[in-house]
Amino acid sequence: MRQPLMERIRVLVVDDHTLVRQGLRCILESDPDIEIIGEAPDGRAAVDVVDRLHPDVVVMDLTLPELNGIEATRRIVRRHKDTKVLILTMHRDEVFVRQSLRAGARGYLVKDAEDIDLLKAVKVIGRGGSFFNADVSRMLLRDYLGEDGNKDFDDDLSRLTDREREILQLIAEGKTNGEIATVLTLSPNTVETHRKQIMKKLDLHKTADLVRFAIRKQVVS
Amino acid sequence: MSRIRVLLVDDHTIVRQGLRRLLETDPEIEIVGETGDGRTAVAMVEQVRPHLVVMDLAIPEVNGIEATRQIVEGGSGARVLILTMHSDDVSIRQSLKAGARGYLLKDSADILKAAKAIARGGSFFSPAVSKLLRAAYVDEAKAREIEDNLDLLTEREQQVLRLIAEGKTNRAIAGLMSVSVNTVETHRKHIMEKLDLHNTAEIVRFAVRKKVVS
Repeated sequence: MRQPLMERIRVLVVDDHTLVRQGLRCILESDPDIEIIGEAPDGRAAVDVVDRLHPDVVVMDLTLPELNGIEATRRIVRRHKDTKVLILTMHRDEVFVRQSLRAGARGYLVKDAEDIDLLKAVKVIGRGGSFFNADVSRMLLRDYLGEDGNKDFDDDLSRLTDREREILQLIAEGKTNGEIATVLTLSPNTVETHRKQIMKKLDLHKTADLVRFAIRKQVVS
Repeated sequence: MSRIRVLLVDDHTIVRQGLRRLLETDPEIEIVGETGDGRTAVAMVEQVRPHLVVMDLAIPEVNGIEATRQIVEGGSGARVLILTMHSDDVSIRQSLKAGARGYLLKDSADILKAAKAIARGGSFFSPAVSKLLRAAYVDEAKAREIEDNLDLLTEREQQVLRLIAEGKTNRAIAGLMSVSVNTVETHRKHIMEKLDLHNTAEIVRFAVRKKVVS
């Protein structure tokens, strides 16, 4: 294997399916310019690892438990100017691409891409660029030129604060106020206040409605 | 001993290629082909004669269950290991009925162990899957052909399920169904026991998945 040309790109892999994560690791480790500094099975662990180890690139799945990929991306990008996020997901819907970009991702790859695409994307993004395939680029161009009537599907969600969206996901995952309080190190009272705020902002009045909303918005599966 | 010849089937290319590299780290395993759809998979089995086919369920053209059935009935001797994100009863049952020798969830890490066990003539199931199978085995006395675990619920229970998912209180449900609140609570308890659900959120997600409510 040839020697790396310059300092290796340090990468964190985030996916909730162990086998997928291990496979991605294998692909990335085959390149001498790339170094895997860690793996994470959910969004919360991902943010934690980035805080501790400061990777150059995070390869991030979207559908993750605890904290989904969009939220994790938003948090990471905000806290770490030098860490770049590449979304790698099975979802090809425009809504996800837009949300990813708004959250600060530098690239978006669908899982039917090839291993060479992943390697290329990580290296381009690691060196400061962006990476989108032809379909996504076309979509972005259409948006930019205003040709699409600019449908904004995630209006409701964007009315919530980061914290509220985080709590919404945990509610939809079936956690009690007590459990949410523990996970987020808040008091149960605070969680209850947030819950009421969420319901007020979304004009929903029952847990069941919140769960259905969360599913529709793909906050949870 | 000759190497275990493996065919990989998954329509997420990057997942398939990652899996390939993972398996190739083992000297006993040889990847003899890969594809993203069920129709090609069945054809390739004839051509490359693998010992083992690692099969995703959600693939195009011909789905994983059907492809498994065709491969097992094809007589080539190839054994099928299902590798999927789906851990529901129906997928597992249908896979086994179609002749799969193993069922592995993508969030497990035992692919090498599973591949070798099945190639040597045994079976392999993720621990989570084994638990479901054992529970089903114990239920064998009731011996019903359950095609959908919604069928595990009585009609009244399905009604209550829908109303819970629509956000109605126990009292409201009792009113709508002309029964006591106690009865509704009993139904709710049975629903949760039968489907292994633990709270309202899980009930709602189940109902949405089964399209009982939107």
